[in-house]
Amino acid sequence: MGSMVRVGIDIGGAFTDLVAYNRITKDLKWVKVESTPKDLSTGVLECVKRSGIAPQDMEQIIHGQTVVINTIIERKGVKVGLLTTKGHRDVLEIQRANRRDMYNFRYRKPEALVPRHLRLEIDERTMADGTILNELSTGQVERAAKRLVNEGVDSICVAFMNSYVNPEAERKAGEVVKGLFDVPVVLSHEVTREWREYERFSTATLNAYVLPILDRYLGRLQGALAEDPKAYMAMASEGGMVSFDFARKYPIYTVESGPVAGVIGALGVASAIGEKDIIALDGGSTTTKASLVEDLNPEMTTEYHVERDRFRPGFPITVPVIRTVEIGNGGTSIAWIDEVGRVKVGPRAAGADPGPVCYGRGGDQPTLTDAYVVTGMLNPEYLLGGELPIHRDLAVNALKGIADSLDTGVEDAAEGVIKLANENAAYAIDLVSVQRGYDPRDFVLIAYGGSGPMFAPFIAEELEIGRIVVPVIPPGVFSAWGMLNTDIRHNTVYTHITRMDATGASETLNRIYNELEEEIRDMFRSEGVEGQIVIERYADMRYYGQEHTVRVPIQGGEIEKVHLKTILESFHQIHEREYEFRLEGDPVEVVNFNVVGIKRTQKLELKELPEEASKAEDSILTERRVYINGVYEKLPVYDRTNLARGSSLDGPAILEDPTATIVVLHGQKAAVDRFGNISIRSVGR
Amino acid sequence: MSTKGDVSPFTLEIIKNGLIVASEEMFYSWGRTAKSPVIYEVLDYAVGLIDSTGNDLVTQAPGIPGFTGVLDFAAKEVVERWKEEIYPGDVFVSNVPYDSGTHLNDVTLIMPIFYRSQRLGFAVAKGHWSEVGGMHFGSWTSDSTEIYQEGLQLPCVKLFIEDKPNRNVIDIISYNSRLPDFVLGDMYAQVASMRVAARRVRKLVDKYGLDTVLDAMDKLLEDGEKYARLKLKELPKGTFKAEDWIDDDGITDEPIPVKVEVKVTDEEFLVDFTGSGKAAGSINSAYPSTVSGVRETYMAMIDPYTHPNGGFFSPIRIIAPKGSVFNPQRPTPTSTFWEGMSHAADIVWKALAPHVPDRLSAGHFLSIEATILGGFDDRTGEPFAIVEPQPGGWGASHDQDGESSLVACGDGETYIASSEVYERRTPIIVERYVLNTEDGTGHGKFRGGFGAVREYRVLCKEASLTVSAGRSKYPPWGADGGMLGTPNYAVVYKKGQEPKKYRKVAALKMLKGDMVSLRTGGGGGWGSPLERDPERVLLDVVNEYVTLEDALKIYGVAIDEETLQLDTRKTEKIRRDRKKK
Repeated sequence: MGSMVRVGIDIGGAFTDLVAYNRITKDLKWVKVESTPKDLSTGVLECVKRSGIAPQDMEQIIHGQTVVINTIIERKGVKVGLLTTKGHRDVLEIQRANRRDMYNFRYRKPEALVPRHLRLEIDERTMADGTILNELSTGQVERAAKRLVNEGVDSICVAFMNSYVNPEAERKAGEVVKGLFDVPVVLSHEVTREWREYERFSTATLNAYVLPILDRYLGRLQGALAEDPKAYMAMASEGGMVSFDFARKYPIYTVESGPVAGVIGALGVASAIGEKDIIALDGGSTTTKASLVEDLNPEMTTEYHVERDRFRPGFPITVPVIRTVEIGNGGTSIAWIDEVGRVKVGPRAAGADPGPVCYGRGGDQPTLTDAYVVTGMLNPEYLLGGELPIHRDLAVNALKGIADSLDTGVEDAAEGVIKLANENAAYAIDLVSVQRGYDPRDFVLIAYGGSGPMFAPFIAEELEIGRIVVPVIPPGVFSAWGMLNTDIRHNTVYTHITRMDATGASETLNRIYNELEEEIRDMFRSEGVEGQIVIERYADMRYYGQEHTVRVPIQGGEIEKVHLKTILESFHQIHEREYEFRLEGDPVEVVNFNVVGIKRTQKLELKELPEEASKAEDSILTERRVYINGVYEKLPVYDRTNLARGSSLDGPAILEDPTATIVVLHGQKAAVDRFGNISIRSVGR
Repeated sequence: MSTKGDVSPFTLEIIKNGLIVASEEMFYSWGRTAKSPVIYEVLDYAVGLIDSTGNDLVTQAPGIPGFTGVLDFAAKEVVERWKEEIYPGDVFVSNVPYDSGTHLNDVTLIMPIFYRSQRLGFAVAKGHWSEVGGMHFGSWTSDSTEIYQEGLQLPCVKLFIEDKPNRNVIDIISYNSRLPDFVLGDMYAQVASMRVAARRVRKLVDKYGLDTVLDAMDKLLEDGEKYARLKLKELPKGTFKAEDWIDDDGITDEPIPVKVEVKVTDEEFLVDFTGSGKAAGSINSAYPSTVSGVRETYMAMIDPYTHPNGGFFSPIRIIAPKGSVFNPQRPTPTSTFWEGMSHAADIVWKALAPHVPDRLSAGHFLSIEATILGGFDDRTGEPFAIVEPQPGGWGASHDQDGESSLVACGDGETYIASSEVYERRTPIIVERYVLNTEDGTGHGKFRGGFGAVREYRVLCKEASLTVSAGRSKYPPWGADGGMLGTPNYAVVYKKGQEPKKYRKVAALKMLKGDMVSLRTGGGGGWGSPLERDPERVLLDVVNEYVTLEDALKIYGVAIDEETLQLDTRKTEKIRRDRKKK
């Protein structure tokens, strides 16, 4: 019979999820076990065991993990040694010298992951045009590497100035080290070919910092599951998958694999229902994340930072990541009154422990979930299919403090907190869309995550978004499901400043794109991937003198002089959309060349539900008094799992299933599509 | 809680957040569309919303703290000068330091925001324009003696008239700049960003009504004031004094005394600079800059994380004698104002540090050691210019070492440009960019952070160098027995000549192969070095921050040269003996 099951495995903070898709029967199966933080592979193997799928049936295993991000955040990486250009020993410590926390006169930067005594200088120098000013001495590299090995480093990173232009010196140094010691060696240009030394050194160092750890972890899994080593794929932060071998060498490419899989899942849903422009809204427990996707093509960025927030700069990682923004409140964000008596929600959150007050697990600060419970939008008796009892009285008590200081009723306070939190999230979405020159009204909001479906109707109302879709796939396993929708992707970005008006510009473009395409094809070949590879080309372009670039799609094939005009015109257009102006006469330059290679995999299809004659009313479980727009109203509560294909209902209403609650507001209409997704439209939009 | 009409406290909160978002939108918009690195990389700009009277800052988004106090002056100036002649679509331009600003390079645009015929407030955006004329390339300079040498003055005139660009003014700007393309590109981006903010504010009015939005603006200010007064109550009360010196004014070598008396009561934060001296050169901090400097330290002390506004700043009262370095009068030059302004922030900081140790560290390198290196690139024939601050060492606190190589207090989310980007774009090689451990730092129980060494070698035929380093004669102050930090300066290496050390140098001709070494100092220490944990001293030696000799000489810590092991007994003895002395 052969293998026909594709398996997606996602490790989250609390749970490890598995989704299996049989491509013959189109059956989906999911399993959830508690994560095993001590050795995450234990949980993964347990999950597989419980799924009952035999190893020989596994055609492909796609794995998203939090090993990389956790290792960085918990500072549990290995001891790294750095070899760098003479005169630039302190790049990792100086960083960009910015004071992000700018009114804090006791500000400290994030401590460099490689201490100064493990950062050694090599007397070599490559110039910005690629010429070598000062040849590297292999003897000096040998001595320095030896010193690092004697210090007990577990990996060595080689990061030289201008290696993005000419990596020769790094390569040479790497060979010397590898020839002497059996220690992983990371060369900065192999991890990223973008300019800016701090950002590149940081990325390469982080790669070296997590490499032995992810290597060990994936090694344990590999061989334990499927028989074919080619079956093992790792979820990468740019929304594609790469082989385990690639991930073991370049672990930093998988740093954001979890959240990104959710976006890919949202794309899977979008394409099933024929939508192209979406905002993927992932409502989590402590924060909510959003990604704006135009034409089913998520926006890729290499300006990513780990541990960055309003006051902390974090560490830059210049590998491709789907642009995702944290837009604020999650289900356990805490509502509070500030010193001058104004109400706020977040950024502090109760998290899983103790959780919202209404869970009765010792939480005593009112959370957003408590506000939903007080209004009756969330079931005031039980959640999660009856497993978790809810104590509305506790939630009421907790919100009473807020109500008293604002001199309002408890229900008004609860509804106010809900509106405030959701409007803040809406502002944040607006900010990111306006920043990119988009109008959120042109997008469909796809809401998932534990709290996404209860936030989305409010956010959509504020943003005047016409349609919300809550996927049929349960939020708990949505990321794992998303993994089954990914293609194999490789992505390479190369900085080479090229003026479009220079003589020979088209030749330069052709030469670089051809080289990069060849590189990409090599990567697929080395992974044993056969068949057709789709190649996409992009260029990060800007007006001469500007810093920031816009990403412009570039046609395939030979670029001739006449095509340069077309490229320029699309640049002007995209620039105008994002920045509201064009400088027609100004010279334009390409900064980064980007080639993406995609090996499409067979997507899983949502299964169509059978046609049924039943009406929505048949699925009404009960009626509940819900406080909405300042009054109590009796709302019908529907059993979402029972709603038949094609049925529809008018808001206000509540839809419940064991994993999530959907609030349908006044003026909104919900319908079940042929797959079981809930589509909510604003009447009149 | 009563609010006007029946507006709920939640709605007010939503509108307040909407106004803050409007500022942020404006900030991002300009940053992403500007043509000059000094805006988009250095973030040398700030934006905000001012109330309809032009008096009070409603919200702000500064890229640098040095711009915390200068937006409201510009709107006030528009209202005073133009009175009834402020129409929808007008944009005013202003850069005169005595009225609204800092130096001529920092150009403020002010746009009234109207809803139908009602003025709601002003969008204000102020930022560094690369070139506004004057005696030297880049406009600002350390050798000017009159403002007329520092560039074009734009005295609050209309840049746009009812949405149309005012050709007359724009042509004057263009003809007076050595880099008109950059300047006009930045200017149009600046205007576009203000329109983005105006749109957001109008959207709020559409949704919630005019009165409600105006009410929310008032509430923002009221809340800010209420909060500041609450926090003021937590500060120690009394009169706190400090004295210090500014190296020189760039014209003569004479130091300038700076003095402050800060009187903190439950109601007021009174800062009196009486007794501070005069400066003939460009280091003068015009009154609005002085206000900015004080506001910055005030924020650091009261709450570094609040969204400040006019209400929050209202307890501050400043006395700065006319004609002094903190309140210069026309035609005194101000083009390196940050020297004076940083001293305004620093002296208040120095007066209060011992009393607010959880918020304030010892003194930092202070001078941003502003540098311009520019000329023509032989390869392309096009002009190039590096205009940048240098990062330096920050002071120690009672419980932690100071940070190394950070931008100075007037700068914030300011990124020092990448060496690779410079090398690619300009005919310069960055030979060294490392921590300045050679000059040491302010040692102490906790030590100051280290400054930086940044070395540029010129690869084109000819370039021009301007550097302005303060705190070169009078290094950063220590606290509680901690040592002084180390000085900022520059060294120029020219072929066939002895290296020459400078504190300030203007438009020095650099030839191919010449090099400048820009050096910043370490921050002040906190507590006696003899009390520093020997393990920390050892770690500093291992990491080559501190030499073995200094470990012994300054810290009284004995470390074996061969094994790099701590000799605890010897250390204890040395420290005991020294303390007896």
